[in-house]
Amino acid sequence: MGEVKEKKTNYSTETPEEIPGVITTTTSAIHNFLKKTKAQDLINWGRKNSLWFMTQPMGCCGVEMIATGCAHYDTDRFGIIPRNSPRHADVMIISGYVTKKYLPALKRLWEQMPAPKWVLAMGDCSISGGPFYESYSTVQNIDEVFPIDVFIPGCPPRPEALIQGFVELQEKITAKKDRGTDY
Amino acid sequence: MEEMLESNEMIIHLGPQHPMQPGPFRLNLRLKGETVMDAEVELGYIHKGIEKILENKTYLQGITIVDRICYLVALTNEECFVGCAEKLLGIEPPARSQYIRVILEELSRLQSHLLGLGEFGEFIGFVSMFMYTIKEREEIVGLIDMVTGARVTHSYLRFGGVRDDLPAGFKEKTLPVLNNLKKVISDYEEMFQSDRIYRERTAGVGILTADVAKSLGVSGPALRATGVPFDIRKNEPYLVYKDLDFKVCTETAGDCAARVQVRLNEMRESIYILEQCFDQIPNGPLFPEGTPYGRRTPVMRVPAGEVFHRVEDPRGEMGMYMISDGTDKPYRVKVRGPYFPTLQALPPLIIGTTVADVAAISGSMDGCTSEADR
Amino acid sequence: MDARTIIESLTGKFPEAISEAGIESPIRIQAYVDKDKAKEVCQYLKDSLQFDHLCSVCGVDYPQRNELEAVYHIASYDHAVVLTLKARLPRDSPEIESIVPVYWNANWYERETYELYGIVFKNHPNLKPLVLPEEMLGEWPLRKDYEGFPNKTARNLV
Repeated sequence: MGEVKEKKTNYSTETPEEIPGVITTTTSAIHNFLKKTKAQDLINWGRKNSLWFMTQPMGCCGVEMIATGCAHYDTDRFGIIPRNSPRHADVMIISGYVTKKYLPALKRLWEQMPAPKWVLAMGDCSISGGPFYESYSTVQNIDEVFPIDVFIPGCPPRPEALIQGFVELQEKITAKKDRGTDY
Repeated sequence: MEEMLESNEMIIHLGPQHPMQPGPFRLNLRLKGETVMDAEVELGYIHKGIEKILENKTYLQGITIVDRICYLVALTNEECFVGCAEKLLGIEPPARSQYIRVILEELSRLQSHLLGLGEFGEFIGFVSMFMYTIKEREEIVGLIDMVTGARVTHSYLRFGGVRDDLPAGFKEKTLPVLNNLKKVISDYEEMFQSDRIYRERTAGVGILTADVAKSLGVSGPALRATGVPFDIRKNEPYLVYKDLDFKVCTETAGDCAARVQVRLNEMRESIYILEQCFDQIPNGPLFPEGTPYGRRTPVMRVPAGEVFHRVEDPRGEMGMYMISDGTDKPYRVKVRGPYFPTLQALPPLIIGTTVADVAAISGSMDGCTSEADR
Repeated sequence: MDARTIIESLTGKFPEAISEAGIESPIRIQAYVDKDKAKEVCQYLKDSLQFDHLCSVCGVDYPQRNELEAVYHIASYDHAVVLTLKARLPRDSPEIESIVPVYWNANWYERETYELYGIVFKNHPNLKPLVLPEEMLGEWPLRKDYEGFPNKTARNLV
């Protein structure tokens, strides 16, 4: 580990070789540059149209989440596709009451997702505790733990409301106001 | 589990988030090669303390809480809770209300079995099945939505009756859906019987014999697939089930295919029950006359006493034990869900099978973790 | 097998251990059992009276009487009678013999009752918390004097 670090410092202190007509740069510099340009709009257009979400039914809202992703409501037409693995997913939907026992697992799932990633709070339980706000086993104030972009109220919200939530998220991404991307 | 590990063995954890699961629980498997040597279930990832909350809510508020015990069969949970209070109050809903309840609970059973079939299909790698059944399920959920105003959690039953009457034209809208469903169930059956891969994944896998099933405390389709005709609707009739003609569907093989077959047959019986209900449903009031019970009885005191009431859930025997101390809130409510003992019986069933069969066996039990955790 | 036969058989076999036996309805009977005899009574019910299906095990807290009750609902796959069997336990050291050797599926019910009420089931094969996280053990959340409920933000409506 130490060896790699040393190498890195050597590399950064070394002045890049000057080649006539060639500009040398780094990936992060390109990213930082792109964020200020119209190219980011193009990237965001791509991102907002492929919001794959992780199927992780936690409560009553989980059933509606599954129904939304399946044949009848067919969110595939918006590029919103259910994925089983967190490593394939862009969006995590907190679809129910987060218990003291489940919170560490949920944090781990969130960490396993590759960036940029967004999180939706679906239903009253994840927003404010819902019917279980006074329970001995649930955790409150989930929005302090995860950077939630869209809150979808309802107990449970209908599939149309979830689709509306996704549309709101898409609009936030277009406006570069979302909390999932690191601007 | 770790301390017993031999050098050529490994432990894998399925869950809490895993595509094989109906909700978050953790299945720890000790494997030797592909064979499961030992299994252990960890629960509680969505334990929300419903029993404690019910003690602190009035009876009317409690209806909305019991809805959320198992979100797939909210109406059966309500029936059990309301049935307990009705037994303590000594009232019985009028005939029309009872028929409306049976209609809705059977519709609820249909949608639950459809989702169960779809999930099972998905678990064994037959994802199209999920899309087929969800399509049909949406029709039925739409019908329930039409009556209750909610798709999943209804809060529809009331003490001594139901909240609203059936809307106009409900029968005319329901019968075509049921006729279509009959055809679809035959299609599913044919699909299952003709598909060789499906037969190999399910036939002879996860065999449960009648004696073992009884000693494990299993109920519902998993028990009926072993040939035991145990159905609360017949053994201990509630509502108007004693006036309705239906048979308890059983199979003898006790494997995954038999459990699925029991569900398919039960859906046919449910459709038959619904048709009878639409023919027989009388006109009349929704609440018993001469009593104060109605759509809204916010302050209701229940006489002191205790009762254990059982109903038949799509997953098996659902029971609630209610103690009242004469106030407006129950003193204690114990929820005995059907999936809790079934999930408990999962480890002995999967020991000795391969990892691939775990998903098939777990899926054929048609679970609902929320109700096991409560 | 009807309710009266069962009650007579049970009180005849265990005259000291069974008390306050009563019939609520043709399909519901209840009785109190001495806490040291619970396992033998269950064994007898299973072997001789066809009570082969354990519905549930739960606890009930009575702080005024300084008692906890362990409640067993025992039913049958053959007849419709459900027996509610209760055992009174002292609130400061509630202990009762586990019935897992008789009814296999009592395992999880007893673990759940243990973590929610603190009732210790002696000779249980694996008495550890089932639904609660380890750090909540010892709080006994379903007892009536549990401090964490209702939450300070909750308001009692009636």
